[in-house]
Amino acid sequence: MRISLQEELDQLEASLQEEGALVLRALRGCLNALSRQDAELADEVIAFDDEVDETYIGIEEGIQSLLARQTPVAIDLRNVLAVLHINLHLERMADYCVTVAKLTKLVHDSTPDPTLTEALEDMGTRAEEMIQTALDSFADRDVASAESLVDLDELIDGANRRVVHQILSLSADPDLREWGLRMLLVSRCLERIGDHAVDIGEQTAFLVSGQFREFTDASH
Amino acid sequence: MTIIESPVQVAQQRERELPPPEQREVVFDVSGLTVRYGDNPALKDVSLEVYRNFVTAFIGPSGCGKSTFIRCFNRMNDLIPSAAVEGTILYHGEDLYAPAVDAVEVRKRIGMVFQKPNPFPKSIHANVAFGPRVLGMTDDLDGRVERALQQAALWDEVKDRLDESALSLSGGQQQRLCIARCLAVEPDVLLMDEPASALDPISTTRIEDLMHELKREYTIVIVTHNMQQAARIADMTAFFSVQIEDGRRSGILVEYDATPTIFTKPADKRTEDYVTGRFG
Amino acid sequence: MSAASLSTGRRRGVWRGRIFVGLLLLSMAVGFLALGTLCVDVLQKGLAYFDSVLLTNGPSSDPDIAGARPAILATLYLGVLLILFTVPIGVGTAIYLEEYADRHRWPNRLLELNIQNLAAVPSIVYGILGLAFLVRGLGLGRVLLAGALILTLLVLPTVIIAAREAIRAVPSSIREGAYALGATQWQVVSRQVLPAAIPGIATGSILALARAIGETAPLILIGALTFISFNPTVMGPFTALPVQIYNWTKLPDEKFKALAAAAIIVLLIMVLLLNAGAIWLRNRYQKRW
Repeated sequence: MRISLQEELDQLEASLQEEGALVLRALRGCLNALSRQDAELADEVIAFDDEVDETYIGIEEGIQSLLARQTPVAIDLRNVLAVLHINLHLERMADYCVTVAKLTKLVHDSTPDPTLTEALEDMGTRAEEMIQTALDSFADRDVASAESLVDLDELIDGANRRVVHQILSLSADPDLREWGLRMLLVSRCLERIGDHAVDIGEQTAFLVSGQFREFTDASH
Repeated sequence: MTIIESPVQVAQQRERELPPPEQREVVFDVSGLTVRYGDNPALKDVSLEVYRNFVTAFIGPSGCGKSTFIRCFNRMNDLIPSAAVEGTILYHGEDLYAPAVDAVEVRKRIGMVFQKPNPFPKSIHANVAFGPRVLGMTDDLDGRVERALQQAALWDEVKDRLDESALSLSGGQQQRLCIARCLAVEPDVLLMDEPASALDPISTTRIEDLMHELKREYTIVIVTHNMQQAARIADMTAFFSVQIEDGRRSGILVEYDATPTIFTKPADKRTEDYVTGRFG
Repeated sequence: MSAASLSTGRRRGVWRGRIFVGLLLLSMAVGFLALGTLCVDVLQKGLAYFDSVLLTNGPSSDPDIAGARPAILATLYLGVLLILFTVPIGVGTAIYLEEYADRHRWPNRLLELNIQNLAAVPSIVYGILGLAFLVRGLGLGRVLLAGALILTLLVLPTVIIAAREAIRAVPSSIREGAYALGATQWQVVSRQVLPAAIPGIATGSILALARAIGETAPLILIGALTFISFNPTVMGPFTALPVQIYNWTKLPDEKFKALAAAAIIVLLIMVLLLNAGAIWLRNRYQKRW
């Protein structure tokens, strides 16, 4: 029953998952650019953001049209609201990838500290995991899996703190220090991507339970 | 060095997205249509195009002439002696009101379902077979009846009791029977004048789902006073309103556009007032 | 609001209601009593003579062997002819007036007016009409056919009115639905309107027939003879049951009066059967769809 509503909801979710795939690509791209100090690749990542924005706008318009025409209620309404929020989070994640790429471009000539680079690569991989888990748990409506994102976020947060520590103890070489500062921002971006992934998990829980709650309190 | 792969075609491309304006096939081309009952213009100067395999909805407050309008498409207004039609309606390029046109032939191609289900006081089979019989399409009558009932999503419910009275069916089933009756003569267009307004919500949803399926093969035009229904099922929506001139009320076409546009950013303030419920 | 306010104890309308119902019952009782008295009287007087002799013998001056066979047969023939004439003409007129005629044109309005008036004309006027135009004017003579034609004219307005009501009772949504499927006007009338109206038409026709077979005045006027011993033919002289009854009551012999009562019983049975048939038809078609 309500074939056209169901079709539209399915379409929106499919678009959302596509957007998620695009974001993962952008993240992998900017991480690769970072570790290889590849300015060209960074440029591609920046240009690629247009794709994500296009998808984002398409989903926004789809939601507006669906709400106006289908007047969804109950779980259908929560579904649409969840898609609305997740859409925003994904778009923000993509913007962070662009920031990382831009930062990479700024210091692509510098000599990196290999330990730090590895640490950042690790954080990035963790972030990739989190995005994938968030998308999968939404698709499967799996609240337990969504809640596990909190633990994964812990790891990123821990890594972020260690990176900060590392940067503070870098040598006084001005070139290295500039690189370090930029990398601080990169670390921040990756940490924020992790937070957005947790937010996506919260939307999954909202969809299933009908209650919106933060997984952790702000003191964390 | 990895280059980012070519972008995936985003799912903005809906499976059955509406064809863009250049690719739409026009079924009805209405221009300057005015309908009078005696001296009163019930409908003034309406012009629009109805496209093939679209669901087109006419919405608006009561008295705005939308029922009068839809009845022009299959010349049902001929049955009202005082009705006079000016202007033209072209059906696949042919003038529906040309003197040589046979109203019976028109109604064979353009079927109509009414607000209150009106099954004939005969058996279910006889109801569906009536159209083919009067039109001389009597080959494989049982097959025609079955196909029509299948298309109307009623076959499974009645296949074992085709000889029972049609009046023994529930309201929603009766309306689907009336739809099957229309489909049995293999029309091109289905006109529906408030088809679900006499039905309960579940039957209404079934009829709406049915329209969604039927539009693959047929062109559907529906009048509804329930604008949420139009929002749910129509591809194009026409908003009619009442205009008062010299103390006379007549219906006019205010806006006609794709349904998402009408319900998200209508161009005319009158349309916006109506769909937001601030009208009147 | 306290519970006490619901039971005020004042029951004004109740007595009025009861009186009204009482009056209704009284009216019904009067009707039943009158009918009952008639029936009892007739049965008392006529039951003795209600036997096969009555049904098989022709009339005779001897009341013990007198029967009403020719009269009964003639009444039956009249009934059949009546149906054959009134139904096509009556239904045809009704269809024309309801489905085809434009109400606003004056010939149709005149037609309608006339039909209403004709239904109220006394039957003896039809008798005079028949005598003047059919028996003498057309030269038919005093034959069964003339009697049938007169009775046709007599009940035709009733049949037309009943048929029109039956046709009007068919909802216009049925017609619209049929038109919308591409039926022509004739197809709509013949395949939807008429079949749906048949129960009403049949009921109306049978009731008209039941009235007609009891008509005496017009038949006497056009010359239903008093003494026919042979079986009637369509183009021959005839008598009818009501006429026979009338004639027997005029005879001095008490036995003939008893015979008349017996013949009345026969007539009553015929009328009752016809009415029962009409009711059965109506019920059957009401339940069917």
